[in-house]
Amino acid sequence: MKTTSHVGYFFIVPALVYVLFFGVYPLIYNFILSLKEVTLITYMSGTSPWVGLANYWQTIKDVVFQRTFTNTLLFTSLSLAFQFLIGFFLAILFNRSFPLKGLLQSLIMIPWVLPIIVSGSFFRWFFSDRGMVNGFLLAWDFIDKPIPWITSQKLPIFAVTLANIWLGIPFNFVLLYTGLRAIPIELFESADIDGANWWQRIAFITFPVLRPVIITTLTLGCIFTVKVFDLVWIITQGGPGDVSHLLSTLSYSWAFNKFHFGRASSVLVIMLSLVVSLTVLLNSIRSEGE
Amino acid sequence: MKRFILTFLVLSLGVAVSIGTVAVAQEKVTITVQDYFDPAGGMAKFIDEMAVEFERNHPEVKINHVYIPFAQLLPTILQQSLTRTVPELTMADNPWVPQLIKAGTYKDITDQVKEWGWENWEDFFKGHRELTSANDRIYAFQITTNNLALFYRKGLLEKAGIANPPETWQELKEQSQKIKEALDIYGFAFCATASEEGTWQFEPFLWSNGGSLLELDQPEAIEALQFLTEMVVAGYTPRDIVNVSGQGDVTQWFMNAEVAMMVNGNWEFGWHLTEDVMQQLGDVAVATLPVPQKGMRPVVPFGGECFGISGNIDPAKFDLAWEFLKILGSSDTMLRANIKHGGLPTRASAAGKILAEKPILKPFLDQAQYALPRPLVGGIDKYPDISSTVWVAVQKALTEMATPEEALKNAASAIREIFSAEEYEMYKNMARELLAEARGK
Repeated sequence: MKTTSHVGYFFIVPALVYVLFFGVYPLIYNFILSLKEVTLITYMSGTSPWVGLANYWQTIKDVVFQRTFTNTLLFTSLSLAFQFLIGFFLAILFNRSFPLKGLLQSLIMIPWVLPIIVSGSFFRWFFSDRGMVNGFLLAWDFIDKPIPWITSQKLPIFAVTLANIWLGIPFNFVLLYTGLRAIPIELFESADIDGANWWQRIAFITFPVLRPVIITTLTLGCIFTVKVFDLVWIITQGGPGDVSHLLSTLSYSWAFNKFHFGRASSVLVIMLSLVVSLTVLLNSIRSEGE
Repeated sequence: MKRFILTFLVLSLGVAVSIGTVAVAQEKVTITVQDYFDPAGGMAKFIDEMAVEFERNHPEVKINHVYIPFAQLLPTILQQSLTRTVPELTMADNPWVPQLIKAGTYKDITDQVKEWGWENWEDFFKGHRELTSANDRIYAFQITTNNLALFYRKGLLEKAGIANPPETWQELKEQSQKIKEALDIYGFAFCATASEEGTWQFEPFLWSNGGSLLELDQPEAIEALQFLTEMVVAGYTPRDIVNVSGQGDVTQWFMNAEVAMMVNGNWEFGWHLTEDVMQQLGDVAVATLPVPQKGMRPVVPFGGECFGISGNIDPAKFDLAWEFLKILGSSDTMLRANIKHGGLPTRASAAGKILAEKPILKPFLDQAQYALPRPLVGGIDKYPDISSTVWVAVQKALTEMATPEEALKNAASAIREIFSAEEYEMYKNMARELLAEARGK
């Protein structure tokens, strides 16, 4: 029987090769790039010089990067908070029965079903100077000239955050709703007998029981949100100027517009560290509870 | 279990052997032609037809025409260069060419061109020759070009009481005002997206006014951006131009009569403004771009694509690849290709003939004579870096985040940091010379 256990290793080879090539190798390669000065020419000829941490230093003191970092934190925290809250209340709402529930439930899933290129293009038009939002506001005389949602300095990052919140609601809703359905109804019934009101039932039953689900939802949401690229790229391309970049779009722009592959990689390494530290933080909260 | 592994190994060996046999059985020489021309478009179809004819004349050859989408082409060439698998004939957008030459992607074809006849090379317009050569060696041919001119809707201008399209910036502004007052639409639009398209549409204004990409803090440059910013702030140009997905979006506004005049390129005749659309609209006309003062020349950047032979080509295939490239670069082929493509030929002999077929191209051809290759007036291989700095500055000024002066001064100092002091001087002077020549001063 001993031989069989060795054969076992043979079967994990494909998966191992896959992970090494498509997971570990790119990560290491990206890290190596971030320590070199890589331009189009040195990249092709393979003569990029090592520069140590110079890329990181230059990146960190760059004002555009600093703003982008703040943007990413703002984008992630606002997105997570609102996606979660709205998803949570929708889950509670849908946990009871009412007419047309099935239909409405599928409507909530729409943002998730649409390809991002469609929803992104829609939002670009939605927020543009002559777009739908301004159209309505002007028609109803709330404003007398268009609000520059995506054509000014301060607003674009909020506009794209709004779009991302809308996109993330179904994900939060589905996970939390599934979690809610798993709570035994007896818990609520005995709470009712003890005279608990709605708020007390949420605070003392739903939240504690849902805790693992909530933390998983937030962790996954955090990972998905920090790495958002397509939505912002379609709506603003990081502009106008460079005011609405996220770490992902900034990295892409440095790599493929400026051909500063080394500095672009350093941004990605920083982004990765951000995701990992946020995930570790959330996980530590989870294990504390257990 | 062992038997299972044995069977698996034997089977995989069998598969490997049979694949090998198939490869040996196929004796044809394959020449791969790689480009981003839309497979449904005129140029791609033309190259396909050319390939069929080439295969008929060379029965031992198989031409493999590969399409890579625009955004993927440069990353693809990068990967291919690393693995030394750049296809025999590789196309690139013209601003990338100096960099690709420097990186060794293209093979030196000077001797072949000499054998073919030097007059063929001299027939190419100067800018295209300079772009595709380095240190007096030739590496590629530009086979099609384009530039920017002023498209206008005659009907809309007439309704606003305007007889002729604007020739100067001042007229452009006055006419836009009239159009806004009479018709309540935008007079003028251009494209200012966060991409090379944004920089490329700013360049005609910058260069016609004598500004340089390498001296953006000078008054000539600031005036140019000031003018465009005033157009947006006054409401003659929609502020949404910073958020369009590309120049094609502006054409949509133009077709919907939301704007009366726009800056756009001749490729539009092969894309949105096809013959049936032109007939339907009925009043589309083109003029050379307005200039700062009467009597000045509009100085525009040129676009278009170049083909060259791969630097890592199998020497046995070189002659065939050159044969194909030579046909692509010949005057007659170029003329036919560009008629189908909606582009402009890059050779004087072909350019002269295309007007008979497409008279509407006249303003573009007039400007093509003095059109500038972007990299040569923008730091050669650092052009992409400079360009992205410029479009950021343009967007900041147009959305009033910064004044044109602040935006361009920041851009200028960022651009200076890209170069060493000597490099900067060299490229700055090079740009100055080319600009002065193009402006006829």
